[in-house]
Amino acid sequence: MIQTDALATDVETSGPFARVVLAAPTIALGLAPGRFVLADLGGYLRTPIFPAWLEDEGFDVLIPPGHPAATLRPGDEVNLIGPLGQGFEIPTTTSRLLLVADTAHLPVLLPLTQSRNRVFQKKPGFSIALLLSAPTVAELYLIRLLPPALEVHTATADGSAGHGGSALNLFPDLVRWADCVCIADDPATYPALAETVREVRVGPGHRFAQALVVPPMACGVGACHGCGVEVARGTKLACTDGPVFDLLELR
Amino acid sequence: MSEEAIVELAPNHKAGLTLANPVMPMAGCFGLGTEYARLVDVESLGAVVVGPVTARPRRGAAPPRTIPLPPSQGGLGGVLLHTGLANPGVAAVVRRYGRAWARSPAPVIVHVAGTSPDEAASCCRRLSGVEAVAGIELGLPSTADPDEVAAIIRAAHTAASQPLIVRLPLAGAAALCEVAVEAGANALTVAAPPRGTVWHKPSDRFVTGRLYGPFVLPLALCTFRRVAELVPVPIIGCGGIHSVEDARAFLRAGAVAIQVGGALWRDPACLAHIARSLSTAAEPQ
Repeated sequence: MIQTDALATDVETSGPFARVVLAAPTIALGLAPGRFVLADLGGYLRTPIFPAWLEDEGFDVLIPPGHPAATLRPGDEVNLIGPLGQGFEIPTTTSRLLLVADTAHLPVLLPLTQSRNRVFQKKPGFSIALLLSAPTVAELYLIRLLPPALEVHTATADGSAGHGGSALNLFPDLVRWADCVCIADDPATYPALAETVREVRVGPGHRFAQALVVPPMACGVGACHGCGVEVARGTKLACTDGPVFDLLELR
Repeated sequence: MSEEAIVELAPNHKAGLTLANPVMPMAGCFGLGTEYARLVDVESLGAVVVGPVTARPRRGAAPPRTIPLPPSQGGLGGVLLHTGLANPGVAAVVRRYGRAWARSPAPVIVHVAGTSPDEAASCCRRLSGVEAVAGIELGLPSTADPDEVAAIIRAAHTAASQPLIVRLPLAGAAALCEVAVEAGANALTVAAPPRGTVWHKPSDRFVTGRLYGPFVLPLALCTFRRVAELVPVPIIGCGGIHSVEDARAFLRAGAVAIQVGGALWRDPACLAHIARSLSTAAEPQ
């Protein structure tokens, strides 16, 4: 973990998102899917930023409209603290990985689809499926950034694409299929997702289903205890124990 | 004029508490001693203030604990933090962090949450035999009256072998400072972050906690100046310090040292920057 300035080397529009390329080799080395940096973007508290694409020399982030990083331009420097937190742990025995996200959180899961992070994909028959939910088809823009081999299941609230209604309706069959599930969604959906896992899987192992929880953070290093997340055996800190937690332990 | 100085926080205590410079982090912001090891140059600091600790483990408050406060009138904004004194209890803290404290290049001051005389005494008793602890900072309940404050401080003073610094609540600091000194405080910290309440829309409830941000500075400085007129002991200035100039304002008002709180979260390097700036740069006239 270090504090350093990163250089925005490129900024391009990617649908409603801005794709910002940050050069920060010392931090990039330690980043992994689900790990993050705290960026000084002018507010009183730093802003957690998750890589959407990892490289040796830096990482890309996908910035939604209105995000404090949306004003970054090529040549701008942004002060970062990181890498921070515990990311997704994909067991080496995994052969069927299920990703679950809404469009707002999908960028956090994108590194899991990146070939450099898929050492386990060398296994014959390894596959990844994505369950993506959105209000309407217009919000499904990020699908075009996904690898072609990825199996995508979509659910839109208005029925304009894919399954009409809640993604939860598609979740049980996919959970039966998967041997590891990584979730980045609105935490309000987590109790229902956890209930489904308990219903359709017999004795799911530790971290069978992992979920991202990102409350507001002050320090990012476990000093202020401001990002408490309630779990089965007490309270853990999103910044150091998480932000990825066992879905079935969340309370 | 240079502010480089050896600072003596407890001139009337047998062991004293000497700092190489007047800059330290605020309790509640720095963790228990190792969290910022890779981000803060501790060697550049006068001391580190770790904790809070309590006699027994505390799970802490239910979320939400951190509520950002929006900027107003072009300011930086701030944050409300309500952690509920989450910590593993003084015994576990000493066991887990005692070695790190012993290796610290800056003196370690442990902040004890003095919620009652028994709690204060229990914590101070456990810490009194720990050589790596150079001093104890005692926090007080924000609503305690003078009699309760005196009882808590007397209990801590009796149990502690190290110098005792008492951190006064912002509201009531002037009314409590003389009581604190009379009860055994070797030094004072003025003041604890003020408490405030916000309505947290996502959970549809009110959350009360401590407030951090630049807006605290004028409140803390005002209170500091009143306290400094009333008591003769060394006083540490604390509240809303986010820059070298903020620190200088407290030192000009008579502070022997200063504590930096929320600014540390945004820029961990600011502690060392403030310490070096105070010790090397001439103060503007």
